[in-house]
Amino acid sequence: MEQKFEGSPRADVRLEGRRVVRGEVVNDWGSLLQWVVRKNGQVVATVPARAEASYQHADATPGTYEVVLQMWKYVNYAKDPKGEFTVSKFIDVSDKVTYKI
Amino acid sequence: MLNVGNVKVPLCHGVTRRSFLQAGAAGLAGLTLPELMRREAAGAVDGRRGKVRNCITIFLVGSPGHLDTWDMKPDAPAEVRGKFKPAATNATGVKICEHFPLMARMMDKVALIRSLHHKTGATHENGQRWMMTGHDFNPDNIQPHVGSVVSRVFGPKGDLPANVILPGPIGNTGAGPLHGQTAGYLGSAHEPFFLNADPASPNFKVTDLEVPSDPTGFRLDARKKLLGQLDDLQRRTETASTQGHDIAYERAFRLLTSPKAKQAFDLNKEDDKARDRYGRNTFGQSCLMARRLIENGVRYVTVNHFDTVFGLSCWDMHADGGGLNNTYLDYERHLCPQFDQAFTALVTDLEKRGLLSETVVAVLSEFGRTPRLNGRGGRDHYPDAWTNFLCGANIRGGQVIGSTDKIGSRPADNPILPPQILASIYHGMGINLDTTMMPGPGERPVRLVEAEPIKQLFA
Repeated sequence: MEQKFEGSPRADVRLEGRRVVRGEVVNDWGSLLQWVVRKNGQVVATVPARAEASYQHADATPGTYEVVLQMWKYVNYAKDPKGEFTVSKFIDVSDKVTYKI
Repeated sequence: MLNVGNVKVPLCHGVTRRSFLQAGAAGLAGLTLPELMRREAAGAVDGRRGKVRNCITIFLVGSPGHLDTWDMKPDAPAEVRGKFKPAATNATGVKICEHFPLMARMMDKVALIRSLHHKTGATHENGQRWMMTGHDFNPDNIQPHVGSVVSRVFGPKGDLPANVILPGPIGNTGAGPLHGQTAGYLGSAHEPFFLNADPASPNFKVTDLEVPSDPTGFRLDARKKLLGQLDDLQRRTETASTQGHDIAYERAFRLLTSPKAKQAFDLNKEDDKARDRYGRNTFGQSCLMARRLIENGVRYVTVNHFDTVFGLSCWDMHADGGGLNNTYLDYERHLCPQFDQAFTALVTDLEKRGLLSETVVAVLSEFGRTPRLNGRGGRDHYPDAWTNFLCGANIRGGQVIGSTDKIGSRPADNPILPPQILASIYHGMGINLDTTMMPGPGERPVRLVEAEPIKQLFA
């Protein structure tokens, strides 16, 4: 019985200073939930987001920071020769929030 | 003369077994619910003494590697310790994989058994049979599923079956069709009820509970009357087997017509928040249904996490590049989070509803996985050591029973065999293993399992 993951998970996200806070995930698939932090457009951190509802990125050096919540969308287990999934992928499940230091 | 379908059956004399069976086959198509009441006490059982009233077994088909989950060896060489790191939990001195952050907060409720092992072949099926029946495989004597034994000893509590398996039977895991999830020699009277549907599907319904459309209920009543007439014929050729079927059909009608049964299986009765908390996936929604079934009187629910190991993301981490190409990425992104979410939701929910004090949740699997990573960064089958765990009822949480050596290759302390797990469940339910016998082959009484309960498990 292969699982099909339907609908779209969604969570509200807000900034409190440099701390990003998420609400509960609606239509939660139960797969890996993570924060993705970009600084000046480059990914600088991916952090598990399931256990805690908030996260503050430690780096406080100047730049433009963007944070989004992502969840793993499983479609199938197909992988390329390097072992990375080819169809299943992370998708954004929140709006992006941005702050500047 | 009674016309049953296209078979003429004499009523008063000349009824043969063959004619009865032909009548049965012709007239009873569609009545497929196998579920039974206990006919008589099997032995010395005092359910009032057992703290365990119900059991939910979560069976991790494919089997997670113990070194990557619940028996980590961070000081072992890299090719042994693997990629994941251990994390502290709320049980002093107990660490588990970093990818179970929610479970880490409730390890004070969980008893880990790190020294499980068995000595038969390293197939999924051998491990499944060991863990579901407590016995090694014997093709001449198919052992019953633990839930079928519970069904035989205690019977159902109401209209629902005593033994339910979600979401469906284990299918192809590579070495034959026998997975330890049938009633075996106990007969059809105690077969598990298989949901055979995906509770996460938007169109989910339990086919076996759907009565064909008939506003007056005439067809169902007619079939029941027909069964009653067949029962009269049956008495003349009555055996234990036909008695079992008789009870099965009686229960089937009750299940079909019971509002409580339909309500128990109806996940739409749960709010969205609860469904999200368990995870909107087959496994998560099966765990939610397990809670509902326990709440509504089912004694033993088994949730199969996966029904095969081929062609999908599952615990069978061979990383073979083909049909068994599960890797660390599957564990990290899909399997561990899914399990963490659903298991903790279930335990929390049972506790909130006052059910955890009388329900054991047993998380079982077939074997461990090879201590040394294979050439592709995966791990293969390894029955010489693995970890399973239990919580709930009077299970003493926050403890570790047994241990393995420095590389997780064999039990170093307190080796535990699979029958001991089932002996512990039976003991917890108030079953005296020395005096409660099953009607084994040739009707000879047999002991439920050749093992003693793990005393350390219990508070």
